[in-house]
Amino acid sequence: MQQATIQDLKAKRRALWRQRFMENWRVFLRNPLGRIGISLLIMFGLMAACSYIPPMIDPMYHPMTGVDPKVVSSVGPSWQHWLGTDFMGRDIFSQLLAGARVAFMVGVSAAFMSVVLGTAVGMTAGYMGRFTDTALMRLADMIMVLPTLLVVLMLAALFGKLSIWMIVLMIALFRWPGVSRIIRAQTLSLKQRPFIDAARVSGASHLRIIFRHIMPNVLPLAFLYMTFRVTSAIVIEAGLAFLGFGDPGTVSWGMMLQWVWKTGHMFQAPYWLLPPGICISLITLSFYMLGRAMDEVLDPRLRDETQAG
Amino acid sequence: MSERRENKTILQLERVSRFYRTRGNVFRGGGRLVVALNEINLSLRAGEIFGLVGESGSGKTTCGRLIVRLEEADQGRITLNGEDITHLKGKKLREYRRQVQMVFQDPYQSLNPQVTIADSVAEPLITNKVGSPLDHMERVLKVLKTAGLSPAEDYVYRFPHQLSGGQRQRVAIARAIVLEPSLLVADEPTSMLDASYSAQIFEILQGVRDKMGATIMFITHSMASARYLCDRIGVIYRGHLVEQGPAEQVINAPQHPYTKALIDATPKFGRAAEVPTYGTLLAAERPANSSAGCPFFRRCALAERLLCAGTYPPWRQVGPEQVALCHLLEDAAPAVSTG
Repeated sequence: MQQATIQDLKAKRRALWRQRFMENWRVFLRNPLGRIGISLLIMFGLMAACSYIPPMIDPMYHPMTGVDPKVVSSVGPSWQHWLGTDFMGRDIFSQLLAGARVAFMVGVSAAFMSVVLGTAVGMTAGYMGRFTDTALMRLADMIMVLPTLLVVLMLAALFGKLSIWMIVLMIALFRWPGVSRIIRAQTLSLKQRPFIDAARVSGASHLRIIFRHIMPNVLPLAFLYMTFRVTSAIVIEAGLAFLGFGDPGTVSWGMMLQWVWKTGHMFQAPYWLLPPGICISLITLSFYMLGRAMDEVLDPRLRDETQAG
Repeated sequence: MSERRENKTILQLERVSRFYRTRGNVFRGGGRLVVALNEINLSLRAGEIFGLVGESGSGKTTCGRLIVRLEEADQGRITLNGEDITHLKGKKLREYRRQVQMVFQDPYQSLNPQVTIADSVAEPLITNKVGSPLDHMERVLKVLKTAGLSPAEDYVYRFPHQLSGGQRQRVAIARAIVLEPSLLVADEPTSMLDASYSAQIFEILQGVRDKMGATIMFITHSMASARYLCDRIGVIYRGHLVEQGPAEQVINAPQHPYTKALIDATPKFGRAAEVPTYGTLLAAERPANSSAGCPFFRRCALAERLLCAGTYPPWRQVGPEQVALCHLLEDAAPAVSTG
């Protein structure tokens, strides 16, 4: 084949993927939920990225260890401390920024792990069927009925303080069954489609059928569920931290709320109580909105075609 | 065409049966047994287009799926070039599938929506480890042209949903012939397409036979398309093969009442009222006491009660190379072989 044809074909392939991406992106942005969700997420992303700046300006802005020597108790907003300080003189604004970083870290990594696990289990169960299916799904049922927060609380009480990564791992391990059920259902229906038969006639092995033919069809769904899992992971981590079982070495929004409550500033210092609370609500809301908008990209039936013209 | 064709048998089905069991439950016990294919004997000659004709539910698709080994026969033997392939497994099955490929009925379902045309067509090459990726692209382009998609370069990097039904079916044909199989099973490849597309698909299939020397098993419900395309025709009714012979003979001089009924059912151009030529189909099914009799007894207008209801009909030689399974052809000689 001539060099020109190959170049031409490569350009065509790039164009195809670009076109596909742009199409989906347009549908996504047409959805008001998607627009709000993505703007909020960009804002939180910027907060997380900026969390490294305050400690560099002055060590007293370090969210965990930095203490303003002039402050002896919690004070309100000022030019020095935009959102005020906590009971020992730490800057609340820089804590809030660090909390955004932790929320992303916990949310995305726990969701990613649980979705990877859930997808693997779901595809295996759905494709293999019979005994494997029954065994894996009953296991999923058993884990699904365990109240995550309660079990993690008990484990935390047993083993003392858990590190943030242990908490992430725990959330991931308790949160995969929901994903795996959905992926299994999807796999069961895909397995019956003629293109799987066609692949088999083409000589494809089971592994190839799973990875090349079933996985690309369930991945969008898995990705969608990942956004919802992020939400639940953040809420669980915040709940744990607020109840006093969080990682004591990490400043998360749940941790900030716990400090407010523990030091009796609940109704005395709204500048301290409100920002982390609002941030938790907004970040879960924005991931949820992102998921809803993605739902529409993945399922053309949900699209409002009157807008498309 | 018939002059240059050798009479070498490429594929043979010997008394092949396939049963399905409907799902039972705890209270009713085991399910009911449904016979999809009942002791089918068939042989395909190298280089011919063999039409398997029957109504829906007659088992013709099951027959095709048995041949490409998407399902396994419960009884009987299938041989390709003399080699038993009925229960092949693993590596041998994969080798077998290099020679036998299939085109599916529904082009909207038989292509993976998430895979580009190039990757779909190249799949058999990749799984069978034929050539390098660069070779693959070259062969994909060539085979797409053979299947009537040109310029092929415009189609390779598209997704199935960007193509029309006819174009998708061409892609499916391209995928089936990219390995240059010796046998191609085409399972109603035109039933989901417009009539104008059908003729083009038929031409492509004919081209595949003429240029590649592939044998084609063409499964259809339409006598008209079987007549257009096939060299020989087998008529199948509820899992029983009832008539077999050269296409011209079977259509111009059908012998079995069911074949006649099928020809009656073919829409005729320019005729508003239905005037059956043969009138062998009973308007209402008649009850049958035993299942031992002729499979077509319930719907046959000509059936004689005692004989047809009670005993399974014998094969009769009704013309050169034409055989039919019927009691009523008494003056014809018993058939020597049914294959």
